[in-house]
Amino acid sequence: MAMADDTTAPRVLDRIGLGLWTMRSMALHPRNRVADYRALGEDAVLAEQLGFHSIWSAEHRVWYDGWCPAPLHAQALVAGVTSRLRMGTAVLLATQHDPFTLARTAAVLDRCSGGRVDLGIGLGHRDVEFDTLGLRRDQRGRRMDEALEVLPAVWAGEHGDPPVDPGPAIWMGGMAPRALERAATKGCNVILPQTLRPHEVRRCIDTLHSHGDWNGTVGVLRDVWIENDPQRARSIHSRFVNNFREEAGWWILKGKPAYEAPDALERQMARVADASLMGTPDEVAEGLRALLEAGAHFLCLRINFDLASRSELREQMHRVASELPPRLADVISPLGVGG
Amino acid sequence: MRLLLEPEPDTDLDALTRQAQAAHAAGLDGIMLRQTRSVPVPLIVAAALAGRVEDLLLAVEVDVGDRHPFELAEEVAVVDLAIAGRLVLVAHPAPGAEQEYGEALDLLRTALTARPFRFDGSRWRVPAELPENVHNLETHVRLTPAPAQVRPEIWGSGSGRSAALQRGLGYLADADADPGELGLAHERAAEALGPAAIGAPRARRETLSDADSLVTRLRAGREAFGQDWAVVGGGSAEAAALGTQVRPRVQLHRLNPVLERLWEMDGR
Repeated sequence: MAMADDTTAPRVLDRIGLGLWTMRSMALHPRNRVADYRALGEDAVLAEQLGFHSIWSAEHRVWYDGWCPAPLHAQALVAGVTSRLRMGTAVLLATQHDPFTLARTAAVLDRCSGGRVDLGIGLGHRDVEFDTLGLRRDQRGRRMDEALEVLPAVWAGEHGDPPVDPGPAIWMGGMAPRALERAATKGCNVILPQTLRPHEVRRCIDTLHSHGDWNGTVGVLRDVWIENDPQRARSIHSRFVNNFREEAGWWILKGKPAYEAPDALERQMARVADASLMGTPDEVAEGLRALLEAGAHFLCLRINFDLASRSELREQMHRVASELPPRLADVISPLGVGG
Repeated sequence: MRLLLEPEPDTDLDALTRQAQAAHAAGLDGIMLRQTRSVPVPLIVAAALAGRVEDLLLAVEVDVGDRHPFELAEEVAVVDLAIAGRLVLVAHPAPGAEQEYGEALDLLRTALTARPFRFDGSRWRVPAELPENVHNLETHVRLTPAPAQVRPEIWGSGSGRSAALQRGLGYLADADADPGELGLAHERAAEALGPAAIGAPRARRETLSDADSLVTRLRAGREAFGQDWAVVGGGSAEAAALGTQVRPRVQLHRLNPVLERLWEMDGR
């Protein structure tokens, strides 16, 4: 297996994180949970060896597949077995946690890891998740505002905790105008969803800049799979879309679970399918190049699909590390690290 | 008797790993991670040690009663999976939330089963079925993923003694707890619960000034309240002394004195 190119890989891979380790055990792709958590550590070690910037997880709760409800606790496992790799969440549902506990949890992880936490936070959208924790979904905006006040204050030692300097980097998840306004006014980085096309990424960046002298980092999630054979690429794409339909089905679209709103679900699926990049290294790189040229600084490549076996995943990690950097070096190198 | 080493709270994983390795080399059962102002979330530290510390139990102290127990249960499940079922949760009543402690333990334990449930307590209701959450359709919820352990080990501590013992849970007493009073409390719990009280760990925090004194104290604890776990403050040096000088002498009801003399001769 080819390793990353020595001359170009470090700079490009400094802008590429891998996602998403959601720790699910799905109906069509069951996994042993203890082994899956152990594999998270092993995958993180490989990601670090290959030179990637980071490994990203996400949060949901009370769903049959065991989607990790405590991603910082899972990422702590990564902190213990790596020394350089950063740990991100895309996203952690900040509105569903007590902000002081969240701040302290992130601070302890940040100190255990030597300052390697990228705390991507989002609103959350499933009523049942809020309801389980005794929270009102319609107050999530206020709770997000509170979290954005509390997190930096706790990390600065204003509530009696030992300060963490500079503390975890906050990345605001979402693309809604209010989310972008929050990111801009609070000086956060942003992590944009995987469905955005390059011109939509550009529009989000314009919105961010419209709120003043914001200079954070813009990250974009993207579903990616490198496959040279066109027929196999189509097959993987089809499996990916079907797999994603299950996940998107429990989103609330038009006021009800998407499973019960097939038209809305299919429109969402079409966006996901259209935005994903599955094909030859040149095709994948071309799609990523367009995002970078639109102004994205950072790419979180979602290659850990629950439909893939571990050997397939690890092969993809090698391929991304070795085949994309030479194709993106010219477009990524002029950019400074923002945020 | 089982022995846990309790190092000074730290987020320096290398330092903790060295002490855990010393505990491992000394044949101890595990390490205990205390919750402090400087390390307020030791569950994170436990998960960070997952890939570094094998075989040892990781006892972790957490405040219980001040925040939603379901959220804590999720963290417990994830950390227990990360460390492959080696978690002992030491549930300390959160300051100012002592009244909620018992109900919090009940919700925590209910959530850690693999059953869909609803919980109607005086402080917490799960699911809350708030009218504002108009898209919530669930009357029962289940915590996923389930922890690695069949039933995660939970001990009470501090002022949570009677709540823990009433529920048949283990209890970690402070070092200065009165042994006679502890004995009575365990006796009363055994009378109230019957066979359901069998097996609940009876632990106490200890310090190691010299091995002989600790052995004497542990034997006395066993007599007074059935002590079968000791959580001993210290680092690598203490681990070694515990392994060779304390652990062998507190395993049985009595030892033939010749054996102790043999160990002394070998030690020279």
